[in-house]
Amino acid sequence: MPLGTLDRSPPPFFKQGPSALSKLMVFSAIALFLMVADTRFRISQPVRAVVATVLYPLQWIAMRPVLALRFGTGYFESLSSAQATEEAARRKLAAQSLRANQVEELTLENDRLRKLLQLRDRINTPATAAEVLYDTADPYTRRVIIDKGLAHGIEPGSPVIDESGVLGQVTRVYPLVSEVTLITDREQAIPVLNARTGARSVAFGDPTSKDGPLELRFMAANADVQSGDLLTTSGVDGVYPPGLPVARVLKIERRPDSAFAHIGCAPQALVEGARHVMILAKSGERMPPRPHPEDTAPPLRKVPK
Amino acid sequence: MIMRPGQQLLLPANPVFIWGSLLLALLMNMIPLGRVAWTPDLLALVLVFWGVHQPLRVGIGAAFAFGLAMDVHQAALLGQHALAYTALSYLAITMHRRLLWFTVPSQAVQVLPLFVAAHAIELAIRMMAGGIFPGVSLLLAPVIESLLWPVVSIVLLAPQRRAPDPDENRPL
Repeated sequence: MPLGTLDRSPPPFFKQGPSALSKLMVFSAIALFLMVADTRFRISQPVRAVVATVLYPLQWIAMRPVLALRFGTGYFESLSSAQATEEAARRKLAAQSLRANQVEELTLENDRLRKLLQLRDRINTPATAAEVLYDTADPYTRRVIIDKGLAHGIEPGSPVIDESGVLGQVTRVYPLVSEVTLITDREQAIPVLNARTGARSVAFGDPTSKDGPLELRFMAANADVQSGDLLTTSGVDGVYPPGLPVARVLKIERRPDSAFAHIGCAPQALVEGARHVMILAKSGERMPPRPHPEDTAPPLRKVPK
Repeated sequence: MIMRPGQQLLLPANPVFIWGSLLLALLMNMIPLGRVAWTPDLLALVLVFWGVHQPLRVGIGAAFAFGLAMDVHQAALLGQHALAYTALSYLAITMHRRLLWFTVPSQAVQVLPLFVAAHAIELAIRMMAGGIFPGVSLLLAPVIESLLWPVVSIVLLAPQRRAPDPDENRPL
């Protein structure tokens, strides 16, 4: 039997390092600390940024098979389906051309009227185009990763839209990529305006609901909402520019035992399969300054004499 | 060295191969296949495998580091995979002397509770942190992982099963 058949170096008898149990304790404590730091204090971003930068080459490699598959299916797609897509795109363009041509004139008219009425100018929002790299595999949230990051001037909190509506908001920015939380995530809320009635409300993500992945909460049971109503951003939050389509009301359930109606909505943006998105700059900086908050200290109670 | 009757004497494990297989498993976990709750966690499987077969080489610290990488990649709660993998690696190390006395199919049955525990830890943490319940298909993930145990045992032990003295008749 030649040498090297067996592991010749004997296992260390005395120098075994800390025991497995103590290692378990230490690393569990670090993991728990990281979780608390991540959820409560939000101080773990430097750790994430470092790990993300180290992982970027691996992520780049892991993307290749998926990109090759996308390219391959696109290449071998039959000619007829490509022609059908082109036909649909042309029809859509023709339908939009009338409105698109009117936009210039309407913008000019709007500007003049606003000047006439001495209203504040509309806020123009600069935008950056980006591509969705992948949906995060985490099944407990609804997030996607896009291919623009700190190096491209992306700021956390910026709204993200696709061609048909609001998709979500940038929540974390890494050097080369950023993470977008979709409007259907459970922790995401977006102030909306009912385009038919002008009533303002807030839509919350509710991905497990059967009535649609968005829910319009705190609407009175007798509120004027109909199924099919378009909800657009209201712009009161200073994050999303006003007037972007968000969702369409799907189902309204007025329960006799509750003061609020249960309203399910379907997002207009392709939350499940968006590829090309636009990242808008936060409109907060170009908004007028917020009014100074009133002194919130409780009034001094007069000492009864 | 006391061994199970009929067990083959293995060549020493190559550290490059061990760490290469772990990196490959991380890479395969990173392939974006969409948000599917029952996706088997190959990295956890390979970590348990090396934790059982080479407990002196692949320990709890490595499991923690790979867990952090998974957390950042999945944009999950930082420390969620790290805690699950740490527990997984600890359990693998505590059972490594016993497990290798069994045949590979019964090893697969015995590692199932480990994977169930790892997924249960992640689920419990995320439910406490206010996540979305991913659905009952999550239960499939540990089953698939333990079904993959025999496959991983064959693939990862193949280099150690080569002939100790290769000649023309046995080139590998």
